[in-house]
Amino acid sequence: MTQEIQKEKVQPRRDFLKYLLSSVTAGFGLIVFYPVFSFMKPPKQREVEVTSLKIGNVDDIEIGDSKIIRFGNKPVIVIRNGKEDFSALSATCTHLDCTVQYKKDESVIWCACHNGKYDLTGRNISGPPPRPLEKFKADVKNNEIIISKIV
Amino acid sequence: MKNILSKYIFVIFCLIFSQITNAKTDECFNCHSGLDDSPSKLFKNDIHQKVGLSCSSCHGGDNTSDDMEISMDKKNGFLGIPSQNKISEICAKCHSDIENMKKYRTDISTGQLEELKKSVHGAIAVDGKGMILQCTTCHNAHGIKKVTDSGSLVYPTNIPNTCNKCHGDINYMRKYNPGLSVDQLAKYRESKHGKLNLKGNRKVAQCASCHGSHAVFTSKDVRSKVYPLNIPETCSTCHSDKEYMKESNIPTDQFEKYKKSVHGVALFEKKDISAPVCNSCHGNHAATPPGISSISKICGTCHALNAELFGNSPHKKVFDENNYPECETCHGNHLILVARDQLLGVNEGAVCAKCHTEEKNPKGFKAAVKMRALIDSLVVLDSISRRQIFIAEQKGMEVEEAKFKLRDVHQAELEARTVVHAFDAEKFSEIINKGVNASNEVISEANSQVDEYYFRRYGLVVAVLIISLLALLLYFQIKRIEAKQNL
Amino acid sequence: MKKIFTNLYNWVDERVDLSDIVKFMSKKYVPVHSHSIWYYFGGVSLFFFIIQVVTGILLLFYYKGSADLAYESIHFIMSKVEFGWLIRSIHAWSANLFVLAAFIHMFSVYFEKAYRKPREMTWITGMLMFFLALGFGFSGYLLPWNELAFFATKVGTDIAGVLPIIGEPIKIFLRGGEDVTGATLSRFFGFHVALFPGIFTVLLFIHLLLVQRQGMSEPLNEKVKKTMPFFPNFVLRDLLLWLVVLNLLAILAVFFPAELGIKADPLAPAPAGIKPEWYFLFMFQTLKYIPGYVLFIEGEILGIFLFGLAGILWVLVPFWDKKSEQGRQNKLVNYLGIFAVMFIIVMTIVGWLL
Ligand code: FES
Repeated sequence: MTQEIQKEKVQPRRDFLKYLLSSVTAGFGLIVFYPVFSFMKPPKQREVEVTSLKIGNVDDIEIGDSKIIRFGNKPVIVIRNGKEDFSALSATCTHLDCTVQYKKDESVIWCACHNGKYDLTGRNISGPPPRPLEKFKADVKNNEIIISKIV
Repeated sequence: MKNILSKYIFVIFCLIFSQITNAKTDECFNCHSGLDDSPSKLFKNDIHQKVGLSCSSCHGGDNTSDDMEISMDKKNGFLGIPSQNKISEICAKCHSDIENMKKYRTDISTGQLEELKKSVHGAIAVDGKGMILQCTTCHNAHGIKKVTDSGSLVYPTNIPNTCNKCHGDINYMRKYNPGLSVDQLAKYRESKHGKLNLKGNRKVAQCASCHGSHAVFTSKDVRSKVYPLNIPETCSTCHSDKEYMKESNIPTDQFEKYKKSVHGVALFEKKDISAPVCNSCHGNHAATPPGISSISKICGTCHALNAELFGNSPHKKVFDENNYPECETCHGNHLILVARDQLLGVNEGAVCAKCHTEEKNPKGFKAAVKMRALIDSLVVLDSISRRQIFIAEQKGMEVEEAKFKLRDVHQAELEARTVVHAFDAEKFSEIINKGVNASNEVISEANSQVDEYYFRRYGLVVAVLIISLLALLLYFQIKRIEAKQNL
Repeated sequence: MKKIFTNLYNWVDERVDLSDIVKFMSKKYVPVHSHSIWYYFGGVSLFFFIIQVVTGILLLFYYKGSADLAYESIHFIMSKVEFGWLIRSIHAWSANLFVLAAFIHMFSVYFEKAYRKPREMTWITGMLMFFLALGFGFSGYLLPWNELAFFATKVGTDIAGVLPIIGEPIKIFLRGGEDVTGATLSRFFGFHVALFPGIFTVLLFIHLLLVQRQGMSEPLNEKVKKTMPFFPNFVLRDLLLWLVVLNLLAILAVFFPAELGIKADPLAPAPAGIKPEWYFLFMFQTLKYIPGYVLFIEGEILGIFLFGLAGILWVLVPFWDKKSEQGRQNKLVNYLGIFAVMFIIVMTIVGWLL
């Protein structure tokens, strides 16, 4: 406000400085607020999911069918044995880390890589797998399947 | 009257007899021989009798007196017929005494009872009165012969029958181990070992060669000679001994080869007892080399998928027609090495070209070349994926996502190596493609992380420039204001 | 644009009389002398605090304060949220620099004897804020729920526990139970984002109000001839410095992003080389050097007691340093201060290296 009076005296340089100052300030605002707003923008994956995980509706899996879901960083195989009866096991073969699958006709969990087989409780029953599959908990709440780690 | 007379005669007879044997008169034996009972009959040929032992050595009593009242008096240490563990203890009195046994043979072993006690046979019997087995169960009580005597119950050719007395009796065996089969002898007689044994060959393996004699353990016991981890060693005691195997015309290098094989390494180095040992392929009691056409079945007991794929492949028929041993043709037998990708194709180290030469069988030749190229390309992509992940990780970036996808690449590789046994180039390339796609995803994911890394660096440069510029301008502004103030 | 601004200003001015404040600010002068530079550290501390509040609020968008989710949620922030790595790294770096700036600010005030009458209250609120800053650091360190934090907290709360009589209850209060568990995390989270900020804001308000009211303290032994207006000269300089500091923060955050380590496992054995944050290191190290028993007192208790005593003396310096109040040099205060600085520096370095 006091500067305004002396405006004429230093007109050219001051204006340039002022112009530069305001545009750089705008740039500054941009580099500050761009990260801040990006941060607040909801990420693709909405939430942390690790100790327990809703994997969808009960009817997403038919009775006697299975589904492989991602639990944190590992695949988990969820098998629907009965109406409300689900079992969940780590889907990583204990032999050489292939992903196992459910073989309906034989009622076993099967590894395509070397024909490893596990029963539905995860016990290694034939082939090369040296250990049983790790178990997870599968609960049904409000018609939703919830998988959680056993601690 | 008659009685007295006969007794009289008997005594005289005894006296005469003792005169003949002079040394020390063994009154027990004298009398009992006179009675013509079976123990004394058997004892006549007993090794123990020959080395000067008397009835009283085991049964106690006074063998110098011909008066039964005295000789068989409990006060004189008479024991009568020992029962249960007493039997073995009596034998051990001498046999466990090194000093004593040295008198007969310096190299004789003395730990038999101790060994028996800790063996399966040393457990308490169903009647609860003592061990399941006593020395006499296998060696008999009277009429014991030297092991080298073909009349001995434990002479190599007799052992199978001796053991079978119990082990072939289902009624007896089910009291102890209902799950154990009782057909070992029958199986054994079908084996090379059993047949030769029947012909009187002392050198071939019989029960005790593999199971041990006194220290017999179940095959699940780590101390057992037939515990999986110990089997190769057990078989090799004979089969690797050139001298011993001289008469047979089979090689003696199986153990050496096996040790180097993938199975041997798994067993000995990783202590993986699920790895196959000698008997997994050759059988145990009915041990014999598997026939050419059944090899894939035998390997297939573990490598089921590979065997199944092979069985349905075009190779099956051709192999059978030409008498090629199935798995063995490519993988070998005792020296089965880890199957590497190099086995596939027509180059050095590959096996396909053995039959599929370019001239004679160009179709197969081409297929082999193609399949090898496919798996090689996947392996290369896999290592590129890993390297990209490594680079991103080195830069401190998040690579969990990429690592998760890497699983699929890995899986495709393993599956391809299995499916190769179908010898179907199409199926094979389908799986390879799966892996190629997955690895492309991994690479692009990892690369985007590397890009993110540079984005951060460049972003920083921009930010620093702007902030510094702003600071600089602010500085000028301050200078201006102050210059004005000082006017 | 300018018009809107002026209108808005006038609108507010009409209602709350802003011109008074502007007049006050422009009438306010900051002394200029050879030690003027120290005046800036208060401002820098303030800047770091502002950064902490802003980034802290941002982190709250995604952070989950429970034992089974804390670690994962931070991992989520670092990997899935855009610029999450940046916000967290800035929060972590700014926390450290905040404590550092506060240290410098405190010692400069101490050596300048700026605490002397009439600024006792400013000193005391400042000291309280300083302790709160340490509390922020201690409680915030646990929040990622990683192995290092877990054990550092365990050790830290253990030290509180050795005090006679009150030690055990304090420990249990801090931990929310016998052991460091999810309950500890919950309450540390509460301290860190609600309790401490609340108290801190009140103290900060009083502190700033006093500074504005009383103006900057002038040095004892130097006649001040020059001054500069608080507004705009000093404020702009402050801003300039803040920009420089922001630059530094950005560089640190990009080149040395905050790490996460591995998730805390209460059952795992303590890893080797657990160290508290650097600003606790000198105390930690000293406690290690005190022998098990001094006369009949347990060494650790003695150590804590001594630190407590020194702290109280330090806080109360305006009340026992009568010489400075009268405008005379107080050598004793200087020597004590130098000793404290040397002690802290040496012990921190020793703790760092060992
Ligand atoms: S990886 Fe599953 S059986 Fe080999």
